[in-house]
Amino acid sequence: MVARRRKRGPRGSRESLPSPPGYSAIPVKFSEKQLASHYLYVREHRVREGTQSVWPQKHTLFVLNVPPYCTEECLSRLLAPCGNIKSVELQKKPDLAEGSREPKSKFFHPKPVPGFQVAYVVFQKPSGVSAALTLKGPLLVSTDSHPMKSGVHKWISDYEESVFDPEALRVEVDTFMEAYDQKIAEEETKAKEEEGVPDEEGWVKVTRRGRRPVLPRTEAASLRVLEREKRKRARKELLNFYAWQHRETKMEHLAQLRKKFEEDKQRIELMRAQRKFRPY
Amino acid sequence: NPSIGKLRWVLPGSAMGPAPAGEQLRGAAGEPEVIELALDSTGKKKTSSRKRAKAECPAERLLQPVKLSRAELYKEPTNEELNRLRETEILFHSSLLRLQVEELLKEVRLSEKKKDRIDAFLREVHQRIQSVPSIPETELTDQSWLPAGVRVPLHQVPYAVKGSFCFLPPSQVTVVGSYLLGTCIQPDINVDVALTIPREILQDKDGLNQRYFRKRALYLAHLAHHLAQDPLFGSVRFSYTNGCYLKPLLLLRPHGKDERLVTVCVHPCPPLDFFRPCRLLPTKNNVRSAWYRGQSPPEDKLPTPHYNTWILQDTALESHMQLLSTVLGSAQGLKDGVALLKVWLRQRELDKGLGGFNGFLISMMVTFLVSTRKIHTTMSGYQVLRSVLQFLATTDLTVNGISLCPSSDPSLPSLADFHQVFPVVFLDSSGRLNLCADVTASTYHQVQHEAQLSMALLDSKADDAFQLLLMTPKPMVRAFDHIVHLRPLSRLQAACHRLKLWPELQDNGGDYVSAALGPLTTLLEQGLGSRVHLLAHSRPPVPEWDINQDPPKHKDSGTLTLGLLLRPEGLTSVLELGPEADQPEAADFRQFWGSRSELRRFQDGAIREAVVWEAGSMSEKRLIPHQVVSHLLALHTDIPDTCVHYVGGFLDALIQGPKESSSTGEEALAVAVRCYDDLSRLLWGLEGLPLTVSAVQGAHPVLRYTEVFPPAPVRPAYSFYRHLQERASLLPRLDKPCPAYVEPMTIVCHLEGSGQWPQDAEAVRRVRAAFQLRLAEVLTTQHKLLCRATATHTDVLKDGFVFRIRVAYQREPQILKEVRSPEGMISLRDTPASLRLEKDTRLLPLLTSALHGLQQQHPAFSSVARLAKRWVRAQLLGEGFTDESLDLVVAALFLHPEPFTPPSSPQAGFLRFLYLVSTFDWKNNPLIVNLNNELTAEELVEIRSGFLAARTQLPVMVIITPQDCKSSVWTQDGPSAQILQQLVVLAAEALPILEKQLMDPRGPGDIRTVFRPSFDMYDVLIRLTPRHIPRHRQAVDLPAASFCRGLLSEPGPSSLMPVLGYDPPQLYLAQLREAFGDLALFFYDQHGGEVIGVLWKPTSFQPQPFKASNIKGRMVVSQGGELVMVPNVEAILEEFTVLGEGLVQAVEARSERWTV
Repeated sequence: MVARRRKRGPRGSRESLPSPPGYSAIPVKFSEKQLASHYLYVREHRVREGTQSVWPQKHTLFVLNVPPYCTEECLSRLLAPCGNIKSVELQKKPDLAEGSREPKSKFFHPKPVPGFQVAYVVFQKPSGVSAALTLKGPLLVSTDSHPMKSGVHKWISDYEESVFDPEALRVEVDTFMEAYDQKIAEEETKAKEEEGVPDEEGWVKVTRRGRRPVLPRTEAASLRVLEREKRKRARKELLNFYAWQHRETKMEHLAQLRKKFEEDKQRIELMRAQRKFRPY
Repeated sequence: NPSIGKLRWVLPGSAMGPAPAGEQLRGAAGEPEVIELALDSTGKKKTSSRKRAKAECPAERLLQPVKLSRAELYKEPTNEELNRLRETEILFHSSLLRLQVEELLKEVRLSEKKKDRIDAFLREVHQRIQSVPSIPETELTDQSWLPAGVRVPLHQVPYAVKGSFCFLPPSQVTVVGSYLLGTCIQPDINVDVALTIPREILQDKDGLNQRYFRKRALYLAHLAHHLAQDPLFGSVRFSYTNGCYLKPLLLLRPHGKDERLVTVCVHPCPPLDFFRPCRLLPTKNNVRSAWYRGQSPPEDKLPTPHYNTWILQDTALESHMQLLSTVLGSAQGLKDGVALLKVWLRQRELDKGLGGFNGFLISMMVTFLVSTRKIHTTMSGYQVLRSVLQFLATTDLTVNGISLCPSSDPSLPSLADFHQVFPVVFLDSSGRLNLCADVTASTYHQVQHEAQLSMALLDSKADDAFQLLLMTPKPMVRAFDHIVHLRPLSRLQAACHRLKLWPELQDNGGDYVSAALGPLTTLLEQGLGSRVHLLAHSRPPVPEWDINQDPPKHKDSGTLTLGLLLRPEGLTSVLELGPEADQPEAADFRQFWGSRSELRRFQDGAIREAVVWEAGSMSEKRLIPHQVVSHLLALHTDIPDTCVHYVGGFLDALIQGPKESSSTGEEALAVAVRCYDDLSRLLWGLEGLPLTVSAVQGAHPVLRYTEVFPPAPVRPAYSFYRHLQERASLLPRLDKPCPAYVEPMTIVCHLEGSGQWPQDAEAVRRVRAAFQLRLAEVLTTQHKLLCRATATHTDVLKDGFVFRIRVAYQREPQILKEVRSPEGMISLRDTPASLRLEKDTRLLPLLTSALHGLQQQHPAFSSVARLAKRWVRAQLLGEGFTDESLDLVVAALFLHPEPFTPPSSPQAGFLRFLYLVSTFDWKNNPLIVNLNNELTAEELVEIRSGFLAARTQLPVMVIITPQDCKSSVWTQDGPSAQILQQLVVLAAEALPILEKQLMDPRGPGDIRTVFRPSFDMYDVLIRLTPRHIPRHRQAVDLPAASFCRGLLSEPGPSSLMPVLGYDPPQLYLAQLREAFGDLALFFYDQHGGEVIGVLWKPTSFQPQPFKASNIKGRMVVSQGGELVMVPNVEAILEEFTVLGEGLVQAVEARSERWTV
């Protein structure tokens, strides 16, 4: 274990910035004023053979440890010297499987509070990636020419953004609902067409819309049926009719008492351990 | 291992010494595995480390569900087992209770080994006493023979008295009392020894004018002098028999390591048949006024019942002993019962002092019940306890006394004679001695009250009745709502003169405290009337002093403390209605209330005498008893205001708004709730919505009266803000201080059912958004309210209050839950989103309305809940506990107050909150809050067993309500094990400090002491500038100066929406937690805190191998040739400043404790 102060020593020369295998480290700071810096760990984006990826191979730079004040625009500005950038995407975690990439509505998916993130930066040319890998830094997020808002400034502007125009919201809702209604209508017409028409193997799909609606296929419904069956059976049973039944209920009672007794003993044991019996 | 050392902050230091119940938690938290649990963030690791924890320690502290094999469960029972089971069923309430009682008795009973040692000591004592040399006869007033090292343990006032004294060894030494009976209980073992004073010492008429008591005292003084020189005794001291100042006794303790083993109390008593019983009847006079007061008023022969009783007590020592030993002698159950009852009394502080309900009295009561066949000798200890409590609860000895005397001898005085001079009557077997002679009416009522409470508890079949009945102490400050200290006690002497209590003084041998106590409590009870349930008084503690000191005076016993149990219904009235002016009682009323009584004309035309107290707000009304007490004491007893220290409203200051000083916010909350009611009426009647509103429910702490600082109507000063005219909104300005914090109050609005809703989660959200927009439009056009709609809510400004209306669709949680299996079966599975929605739209409104109802039943709920939350937040732990969870803990104090009654003052409630939090075994028990009494006994049993089975999956703090029987919704996301532990430790520390402050008759000093947090344990302190703390003025210590927050002083309509929910410290904390939550914990008091405490998580500071998903603010360094990740602390510290630019004043790294 090394005391905190001492670890500055070996970091003196920029060349020997330690970085995990395959990555290179780029120091990044908020502005000139800061003394210590964070490190971006970058490498070329690669996926295993055969897996799909939205980001083009060879063109994409994968960036780890992007500090919370660093936005997408800012990252693209910082990496611009390495080559033209097509897109920058910030994410909470490196995602392996591909999710949906549709644009998210600002009304329904408000931006989460940023923490440390990862970024996928797509360059126009593969040379951009290799240039970025050799970047020395330190990169400055906020400069005089491009000041970055933080603290009170940022919260005030965030608040201003949160007060948005209701009209825009209305328009968005309307367009969405129109599309949705259309989709539903299409599905319905399709279902209507298919109703009663056997498929290639001759099966006819039974739906809820027919003349005699069937039970919905939900778990709750099937549980209900089971429950009803059980009750029906229980009604027919005779209780305490035979001598053995009597014996068994008695035994059951005794077993219950024994179980309770064991539980109580355990409780007492615990209380004794906690000295719960010292009254004062 | 640095991590263990670091974790110590959650463990109480050895010096702190919290309540013993905290011990088990302390032990529990000591296991590093358990702590690790909470620190691990990933779910996977959690289970694995939990398993490890289980495997390593055999889980001795945690209850496990019992597993018995089939063979064990169903084996043939033995006869013995059946007998025991049957006995348990008949003699005890349950097997648990039986085991508990047995354990308790084991704990308090004297062991055989100790008994042998005590017996040996007693034999020695006997011998030593017999060998004390005699002295020749002298006059009683000539005490020059007394050696220098000893003082007479009696106040000889007046000194002159006839008679002569000589010392002879006692004619008989007998052990009496509980030790012989086997009913004495640990830890204080007292053995009473009766010394029979030889007949030669006594003379005729010694019963007169304290002569017997003088001789008794001299006898003890001589004895003490000789015994003190004996090396056998570790200490020889004087004390008073049950606090009676005329009857000193000698305390002998063994020498050396046995000093604490036993105390032998030596009581001298007269020889049998020395006093003629007929001379000592309660109607007889044995202290002449001519002697006592030096003058002879016409009514010279006023009876001296107490004086007579004290002599009779001495004569009856042996016969009582015989009676008790014949009754209790062979019946173990009765002895157990007496021991249990003694514990019961002691927990309630009823057994000590003059007029206390001591063990002797309770043994006699058992004897009485045996003689009336209410108790049978074969009964178990539990049954005896129950029968005695039942008897105490249902009889009234102040009206119908009882007697152990079987004969109906006409020469004996009747019970009525006793009732005339004693408040409580319980005669012994001679029919002449009232065993309860010193018991005051209020002490008896207190016993009665306690017995009633205990019976109710036993009848309710509560699971933990034993714990509550016999294990929970009920100190006065926690049991009573308000406390009054009278100090100095010498004031009572003047009060006695004012109340013309000379005969009583004569009777009590000058003990003005006892003499004044009865009339004083009667006076106050009459004055307080319907405002109090019960008025109890403390009994002065029994002093003990060295033999070379003068006996302590009455005023030395410190303070007389009164406890008031308020009746909330009676508190609201500011009026004391008297009789009509022309009736004869009017004069009495005027005399009683003095100048406060005035003639008033009432609406029905009657002209009556009345007293009106000045009290506007609820908190002032709660303190009317203060006015009553000081007024009556000053008027009738000459005790000035300065001697009355009323403890009831000290904590109110902490929940008063920065500008309020007369109200604790109940009124402001009521205004907000009224405004909400108006708004909900508007919503109900809205026209033009596609679906009509079917229900409006509140879901905000204000709407259940538990918001610490109630909202005030706002009217923004426009010049203070930037305007966003087209959206009718105000924005904060950079060049101004942060504007006032306005938190919108959430309301959930349900719409009528409809089949038109889409069945897709995303589409439902869009439709809901459309409803929000429409709602805003309709409210604006129809009611001219300022509205602002977003996708999830609509903010409405009404009368200066801002409400946030959320439209809810009942089926939405279900839609979110639907999962379609590959076979096409639709099943419902909880998802985080569905749970959150259900919590917000279903459970929260239900809880809010239930607690709103609770507030209507118990007016103190609001203030207690707010005080409790205030304290938790002031200790910087507010973030760990949801608002609802703390509200529920407080609700438990009201719904399950046993063994207390529901608190009626913030003070009592807060103390009990601290007690509950610090002693509750969160690990092994769920806190069940049975709102509206909806859970049945069977369900409760089921919940408990379900809890045990599922313990490992449940959160550390489990709170069960009728709406939420399984999952403990409100504590799901916290607190973590350490935060809860920290709270427990803090509560255990705060409770004794606060109780001591409140019980200090000189005043509590700084009441905010327990509310100030300690910053010692934090690694980094982030200091914030007050300019950007909108709630700066809510701080525990009101800041000397703060900033203008852009509000106009008088409320009025506003056409622009004020800035809502803008609290820079909270925004900053959210960012910090998001960015560095893995590395550190952040602590802050949202009510005006100026400092954020940061605590590094020790486990995160362990070097870790590189992992792409876990880099978060760490950096890679090579350590020993290996590349590992460590937190980049320096950069992070600078980032604290960067993220909070403008808000952060300084970042102080206080320790170099982290190592990398």
